[in-house]
Amino acid sequence: MSAERVMTCAEVEGLLDAFVDAELPAPALLAVARHAGGCEACDAAVRELTALREAVERSVVAEAEALDLARVWPAVSQGVERHDARVEWRRRLRTVPAWGVALAVAASAVLWLRSPEPEPARLAAAPRRNQAVIERIDSSGHFELRRDRKYGTTLIMVSDQAGK
Amino acid sequence: MLGLAAGALVLLAAAHALALEVQITTVHASEHGPSDAQLIDLRPRLRRLVGYHSFQVVGKEQRRCAWQTSEVFAIPGGRMLHVVPKGMRDQAVVMSVKLMDGSRALVDTDVRLQNRGVMLFGVGQDARAAEGALIIMLRAED
Repeated sequence: MSAERVMTCAEVEGLLDAFVDAELPAPALLAVARHAGGCEACDAAVRELTALREAVERSVVAEAEALDLARVWPAVSQGVERHDARVEWRRRLRTVPAWGVALAVAASAVLWLRSPEPEPARLAAAPRRNQAVIERIDSSGHFELRRDRKYGTTLIMVSDQAGK
Repeated sequence: MLGLAAGALVLLAAAHALALEVQITTVHASEHGPSDAQLIDLRPRLRRLVGYHSFQVVGKEQRRCAWQTSEVFAIPGGRMLHVVPKGMRDQAVVMSVKLMDGSRALVDTDVRLQNRGVMLFGVGQDARAAEGALIIMLRAED
């Protein structure tokens, strides 16, 4: 389309929104303006669209100023911090040497394979409260040694039959 | 005079510190009858070891015994229990114990008993008799 050619009303109507928003290339802007200058209907349409655009702009600005952003910004700030932290960890992980990763994996494997059961040897070594060790024993009659498994109590049972 | 009393006190305290606390409790065990209230906790253990069902305390004596010195405890029924504390080894009391029936030693033994532990001596018949048995409980505490 040539800028020198006079546009028709139909052509201008299709470009009005872009003309009001100043999105047209300079030759097209000039052609639309030239047409609107000589066409009352298109000039009225341009003025109407421009007024509408200005009204929308004023409304959006008013609503934006009325917004309470006090609760929004802390959340946005935390989000930004989390993002920064993730970025920092990724950066650190990239700098950890391979042997460090291998060491961490080996330590985890050792902890995982280790038995969680207590050490029975220590429990068995603890002396029972009544534990008695017979180092020597003599008797004139028949005797019998008995031991209570639960408490370790020792009984030396002697027979008095010989005395009777 | 005051110095003499102080010296005696020191000697008494030293002797007390070196002594072993020995407690002898004599119990009559039988097939039937009630058991002594003070033996309630021990009754299951006595039943397992001795086999009787009823237990009554017939004598009790507690005494401080000096190391390496023989102490004689009279047991109901005319027997005597001779105790010689010899020393401590691995948190256990080492002692000689001899149960005499007249001039006859029913049992003569060297034992190592856990400190504050209890051991038992029983006198009965080969077959469980209706008249029961005599149980001597020996407790030693350093």
